[in-house]
Amino acid sequence: MDSFLRVFFDQTINGLVIGNIYALIAVGLAIIFGVGNLINFAHGSVYMIGGYVGWVCVTRYGLPLPVAFAAVAVVCGVIGVLIERFGLRSLQNAARISPLLATIGISFILDQLVQIIFTPDPQSFPNPLPSTRIPIGGGSIGTLDVLIAVTGLSAAAILYVILRYTRLGWALRATAQDREAALQMGVDVNATNRWAFALAAILGGIAGMLVGMYFQTVYPTMSFQAGLKGFTANLIGGLGNIPGALVGGLVLGVVESYGVAVLGPSYRNLFTFVILIGMLIFRPNGLFNPRRQPPPEPLTGTFIAYRKPVRVPRWAVITAAGVALALPLFMRDPYLLQVLTNAWLMGMVALSITLVTGTAGQMSLGQAGFLAIGAYTSALLALRLGWPFELTLLAGGVLSAGLGTLLVLPAFRLRAHYVAIATIGIGEIVSQIILNWDSLTQGPLGLTRIPPPSILGVDVFMPREVYWYSLALLLLAALFQWRLVRSSLGRVWRALREDEVAAQAYGINLYRYKALAFASSAFIAGLSGAFTAHMYTYINNETFNNSTSILGLTMAILGGMGNIIGAIVGALSLTILPELFRGLVDYRYLFYGLVLVLLIRFRPQGLMGTE
Amino acid sequence: MTTQPLLELQHVDTYYGPVQVHFDLNVRVLHGEIVCLLGGNASGKSTTMKLILGLVKPRAGHVFFNGVEISGMATPQIIRLGMGSVPEARRIFSNMTVRENLLMGAYHRRDRQAVNDDYERMLALFPRLKERLGQRGGVLSGGEQQMLAIGRALMGRPRMICMDEPTMGLSPAFVERVLELIQTINQQGTTIFMVEQNANLALQIAHRGYVLQNGHIVLEGAAAELLDSRAIQDAYLGGQGT
Amino acid sequence: MALLEVEQISRYFDGVRAVDGVSLAVNEGEFLSIIGPNGAGKTTLFNLITGTDQPTQGAIRFDGRSLVGLRPDQFAGRGIARTFQHGRVFGNLSVLDNVLVGAHTRRKASRPRNLALELAGALVRSREARAEEAQLQAEAEAIIARFGERLTPRLHEAASSLSYANRRRLELARALALHPRLLLLDEPTAGMNLTETAEMLEFIRQLKAQGLTILLIEHKLPLVMALSDRVMVMDNGEKIAEGAPEAIRNNPRVIEAYLGQKQPRPEQTVEATDGSAVAG
Repeated sequence: MDSFLRVFFDQTINGLVIGNIYALIAVGLAIIFGVGNLINFAHGSVYMIGGYVGWVCVTRYGLPLPVAFAAVAVVCGVIGVLIERFGLRSLQNAARISPLLATIGISFILDQLVQIIFTPDPQSFPNPLPSTRIPIGGGSIGTLDVLIAVTGLSAAAILYVILRYTRLGWALRATAQDREAALQMGVDVNATNRWAFALAAILGGIAGMLVGMYFQTVYPTMSFQAGLKGFTANLIGGLGNIPGALVGGLVLGVVESYGVAVLGPSYRNLFTFVILIGMLIFRPNGLFNPRRQPPPEPLTGTFIAYRKPVRVPRWAVITAAGVALALPLFMRDPYLLQVLTNAWLMGMVALSITLVTGTAGQMSLGQAGFLAIGAYTSALLALRLGWPFELTLLAGGVLSAGLGTLLVLPAFRLRAHYVAIATIGIGEIVSQIILNWDSLTQGPLGLTRIPPPSILGVDVFMPREVYWYSLALLLLAALFQWRLVRSSLGRVWRALREDEVAAQAYGINLYRYKALAFASSAFIAGLSGAFTAHMYTYINNETFNNSTSILGLTMAILGGMGNIIGAIVGALSLTILPELFRGLVDYRYLFYGLVLVLLIRFRPQGLMGTE
Repeated sequence: MTTQPLLELQHVDTYYGPVQVHFDLNVRVLHGEIVCLLGGNASGKSTTMKLILGLVKPRAGHVFFNGVEISGMATPQIIRLGMGSVPEARRIFSNMTVRENLLMGAYHRRDRQAVNDDYERMLALFPRLKERLGQRGGVLSGGEQQMLAIGRALMGRPRMICMDEPTMGLSPAFVERVLELIQTINQQGTTIFMVEQNANLALQIAHRGYVLQNGHIVLEGAAAELLDSRAIQDAYLGGQGT
Repeated sequence: MALLEVEQISRYFDGVRAVDGVSLAVNEGEFLSIIGPNGAGKTTLFNLITGTDQPTQGAIRFDGRSLVGLRPDQFAGRGIARTFQHGRVFGNLSVLDNVLVGAHTRRKASRPRNLALELAGALVRSREARAEEAQLQAEAEAIIARFGERLTPRLHEAASSLSYANRRRLELARALALHPRLLLLDEPTAGMNLTETAEMLEFIRQLKAQGLTILLIEHKLPLVMALSDRVMVMDNGEKIAEGAPEAIRNNPRVIEAYLGQKQPRPEQTVEATDGSAVAG
């Protein structure tokens, strides 16, 4: 057989197999979106846990596959019910986007628990099936391919039977189509939701186990990407559309597979995220629904829990800044100074998020992308062109502002949940471009030997000096932001956040002011990223990842959305707290996940109130 | 027979956020009656329906259904007590078939055999639906959807059916049919409480009526009296009397 | 030439004709009310005239220039201001800030065309920008003061803390800050009691006396009768009548639209095509 055809055949099979997995994930997300109007970000974690449970059963205890599948179903089903309980039901009266944020927090917690129990290292998951291959046409398929196909098909068949012939299935469909009408037929919508989450989690968990067997490995960070893939597949088929999610999964799998064949395996994820953004912009209702307008409800509303801000008198702010500046004179422990330096740099991230999400109301979950642009710009200008640090720093901020805004621009038509998803996607795209643009970024090897920060030609590397430098930068950023939000521009941003429709009716140009908000935010984030790059002297595509974005957001929420002092207080507390309790340092992200979930549930207005 | 009404609203005040919708609402529906609640735009009619169905909670006052206080209950509980609903704009499950829509109406019932009997009865009552059992609810015409919504409510074997604007958006021919149907259902023993904007039509089939204006009951009485009342026109066309 | 001309405008949503071939013209200084039962398409028509929604077909001209295809903020830039049916104040902004947002289109010094300059201007305010801000603020307070003691004591309180009636007043104040050439009021007295309604009527009467061109949607007919030069009646997305207030009040088609027909007209019963065999 012609070798091109052979590759084509193999890639199609690969694509369909992976697509089957995506379909299983996507169907779960579709069920949950249907009944709960929620994009469940913890779904990827459930999938990852499914992989681990399967691995424990098969590899550690040598249990037969059917038992392993049953164990996966039980464990994941229970987790699904718990997610519904804490991620959705207890937040019924909260801001619309709260459940989405809560599921992000839950995913942090689940991922961390798995890391703590099984270490962050990948675990080898040898395929227990016989390795015979079945010849088909000119190529062949393995037994595992068959198992995945059979599982995918039977899951679809079982789901079909449940949805069409059982009371639960009817309740699920009725609730998804019209929640209020379902109530009026006597459907207990809460119980239905619970079942939906359980069912979705079971499908997700089984997908995770199959993937573990397929790639012969499981690792904790497999969750995040999987969740986004499932979401993309779901979006291809139309959010909440179950048959659409099946088709979307297969389409995504095959397209990805061809893309990998043409461009190479490192492009796999870039593909997905470009499709994700493309779908959001051009076909937000999926391939099968030509309408360009995304469905308006329930996807409106930002995350602002109104509470008058705590007014901090000017003398107190100046005193606090003075104390912070004087601190290294008394405290010389380099470790603590480093911790505080990190707090100041994260403080800038929190500031940037509180500006765009708090003041202007545009949920950003992809702030890490802006940090990365700033970091790479500054590092490359220093390494390649030998520019002085002051200039590369500024260039990092400016390019982050310009490029970042251009990247987010297409998402300006979108609202709340969609903006959140789009910004995650854009953050990932930045990371994937860095990974793949070898000639510029040296890909996964990263940039090494970045010169340390300097001022007027003098290098700054003593912990104390770095501390002062970063603190000065933070204070400047805070001043910059304070001037902005106090101006008439700040008022326009807040109006935009409160009510886009009314703001437009009063002459506010949506694109212009969202662009200004994102540019200002990306500028500050870019500065922070640039400084960090020079401080560490090394960066790669994973230095700033999704966790950075979410941590920054948690800090901003803790401080109180839109509150400048709050953002700094939030960053400081979340950086220092794990250090105070030594035991917490290893479980840092578990702690952050818990803080996020608890904040959203019990104190969405944060410590200092919203502004 | 007891003299106790099947449905009774006692001194109900309802709010949407800061806005008061109902002011000291008192409504009684007796067993076997057709009672219509009339009113113009924004008079609080639809909120009355939501109140009875447990979708909105009163801030003050009580709602009794068949002798049980239902004001704090969840909607599914109220449905299980024998309340049926034909919601405003019908709210057919558009991606479920006609058959499934009908059977959804019996979701809360466990008496399978009786449900099947009722299903057969519905097919006899609605020959047009019988021809379309396998079609999705969403593709039916407005009039057919209204029939389906009524059939769906009947499938729950309710003591009473709440109908929110059952004639809205229907062609005149269908309006007539729906009204006849409501009368038939009532004669077979189901109490009807309906909200209508189309006062003249509703009063043709109702026994009694209430007129709601800006959240107050401004008129009540036998249908025939209301039909001839000049006051009802005022209530609709402007209110505070010029 | 009329200030606002709407020609055969339609808006369909998934086959539903929310507004169906409506034409209207409003002259400078005229007061036109639009009435009709719920779902008649009145608010959709307002959305089309203010750019909040785009027409499926038809033309809108304002001061002789076409508005079709413009963004809503550009409608506002031409001098069209509106209030919303259910009130859409900026809840977490102060009363004063709400009104100042209304004056957005009138800013010059703090709103340069260049994006970077606007950002820079927000960081370092020029003398002109400060003077403009002070002047707009003084004017905003003056507009708020026109509502007597209703809003002035609450100048710095969040709009979300206001009573419902006060929110409606605030919305009107915000609209006036735009210095509109055409003002659209969507049920300005909804949720108000009799006293508050009477007060609002008086307020709108003053606006009319100043020569402001006004379009009003209102259910309280006495208010409509007292204020309007002309009344237009909509039902099922169409214009069914238009004329002087008294003529409208006694128009049988209008009464029918509100109350329903006495009897279904016999010829329609016979000619109805969709399923005459449904109810057995």
